Amino acid sequence: MSTPSSKSPSDLQRLGGIFTKVLLGIAIILFGLEFFIHRHGVVSAEESFMFPALYGFLAFLFIVQVGKWLRLMIMRKEDYYD
Amino acid sequence: MISHMPPGLIMILAAFLLPVIPHVWRQIYMLGAIALSAYGLFLGAGTHLVWTVLGLDLILYQADALSLPFAIIFHLAAVLNVIYSWHDRDWQQHCASLSYAGAAIAALHAGDLVSLFVWWEATAVTSVFLILASGTERARKAAMRYLLFQVTSGVLLLAGAAILASTSGDIRFTKMDLGDAATWLIFIAFGIKAAFPFLNGWLQDAYPEATPTGTVALSAFTTKLAIYALARGFPGTDILIWIGAAMTALPVFFAVIENDLRRVLAFSLNNQLGFMVVAVGIGTELALNGAVAHAFVHIIYKALLFMSMGAVLHQVGTIKASELGGLYKKMPFTMVCCIIGAMSISAFPLFSGFVAKSLTMSALGDAGIVWAYFVLLFASAGVLEHSGIKIPYFAFFAHDSKIETGEAPIGMRVAMGIAAFLCVGIGVFPSLLYSILPYAVDYHPYDAGHVTSQMQLLIFAMLAFVVLVRLKLYPPEIPSVVLNSDWFYRRLAPMVGLPLLRMVMLVWSGLLHQMRGLVDAIWDMLDRIMHSPLAGPTVSGRAVLIQAGLLALLLLIAYAAAG
Repeated sequence: MSTPSSKSPSDLQRLGGIFTKVLLGIAIILFGLEFFIHRHGVVSAEESFMFPALYGFLAFLFIVQVGKWLRLMIMRKEDYYD
Repeated sequence: MISHMPPGLIMILAAFLLPVIPHVWRQIYMLGAIALSAYGLFLGAGTHLVWTVLGLDLILYQADALSLPFAIIFHLAAVLNVIYSWHDRDWQQHCASLSYAGAAIAALHAGDLVSLFVWWEATAVTSVFLILASGTERARKAAMRYLLFQVTSGVLLLAGAAILASTSGDIRFTKMDLGDAATWLIFIAFGIKAAFPFLNGWLQDAYPEATPTGTVALSAFTTKLAIYALARGFPGTDILIWIGAAMTALPVFFAVIENDLRRVLAFSLNNQLGFMVVAVGIGTELALNGAVAHAFVHIIYKALLFMSMGAVLHQVGTIKASELGGLYKKMPFTMVCCIIGAMSISAFPLFSGFVAKSLTMSALGDAGIVWAYFVLLFASAGVLEHSGIKIPYFAFFAHDSKIETGEAPIGMRVAMGIAAFLCVGIGVFPSLLYSILPYAVDYHPYDAGHVTSQMQLLIFAMLAFVVLVRLKLYPPEIPSVVLNSDWFYRRLAPMVGLPLLRMVMLVWSGLLHQMRGLVDAIWDMLDRIMHSPLAGPTVSGRAVLIQAGLLALLLLIAYAAAG
């Protein structure tokens, strides 16, 4: 009934590979669309080339990095309050 | 008769009979009670029931365009809860869940602050049993802290209402201007339930401690009732934009490092409330539509996410990211539902979050509040990080945890299926949602520029995640506790307060000791007087001596009075 456990990690890696390719595919399409579609922005900077993409990418990196720093300050052992 | 009862009240009354109804029939009975309550909504807008008590007009049933969408989604959430907990034989939880939903629905229809207070507190005392039902010591303590905050919120609301009643005599629940003590008290009361920054500890503390089904119920009502109350009482209050923006941004960082996936969702819930609070703060018709639409879709997709994590917890027995992973093969249906919830909350086009959040973002743009617009845009990337990626990734993918399990009970799956269907349905046909919003909507979320902007933000943020994972820079999950604002009263207050309390007790016991010495000295003196009087006979006891003294005093007073 259960699949051999040694197969699962490779399945996950394969799935990760497909996911990455799909993401890259959509990203390329979005890059292409940027030449044809006019995006409205609240400020003019938002209308600059691939602005939301850059904002999203950098915001994500920033959030994760700040999270890592926060761990140093506010992470405690599981039984901290017990 | 039933149609004139405040909606929700019938659900509370129905809850009393639940213990004597056998399982399964109980679920059908609860669905019937919810349907009866919903039937009351057909009475339409207007004031339908007023009760005059002690000279105060208590408006028990009032409906308008603002209460209706909340009433619809609260009933829907109650139905989802019943279906999701179909397998559960614990009648106490069903009792709590049904009466909790009923109290929240009744609160929506309260037209005055005193009635609102009654239902406001009722949501607190009913919902706390959903946390207690976990049966652990941790849950019991969290439940007590939760109750303390909820009751405090109610007391502040009552205090504000009392001041208003005594000063103006008007306790109707209408738009208020933040200024005097009464409105501030009411504002803070709402703020506690809406989980404002530093008043939010109870949410992340208590919700993840409830049962798998209990957390789903909790996620729907209390905080959205607060959003409704803010939208009715304080629309266009500028400070809400600041508060809301902080609420969207701050929990994002905590959610990244939290290990308990239901607690991650609690942080996420806080972040989502921020969007709604900002929208209420803007206060324009478009923004208020945004707040209501967001609350509506949020209840569904947040319930879906909590349901999927509840299903995992129910099947596996843990919801810690560090212990999970690779469940996509064991629980494929749950995984698909979870991803639909994740895509909805992340506001992917064609999912419900997109059509709701767009209203708020457009309203911010129209109002020209650029800084808040960019904070919310940033927070959108944050939502994607913790709810869009982290939740499904660590539960269903990441690595193979080698956990052997299967899909959750059928009721859980049906409820998740309905919620997932609604997430996609509303996303594809937003006009259904827009038609029940408080103000007429002429808004089209699906224009090419808007869709590509949103897709760019999301897809490139996801690429950032892929880059971090591939470079092994994404922080691994660690069994841990993340300190939140509850630390102030769980650790700091005892740290500062206990020594202070000990000092007070020391002074007190010293004072008592001194007084005891004084009493002894007085008795000794009395004894000496009794045994060796200056004149006359020896007094036989202290009581006689005291009486003699008192009589002498009376005699002196009588002389003085006569003189």
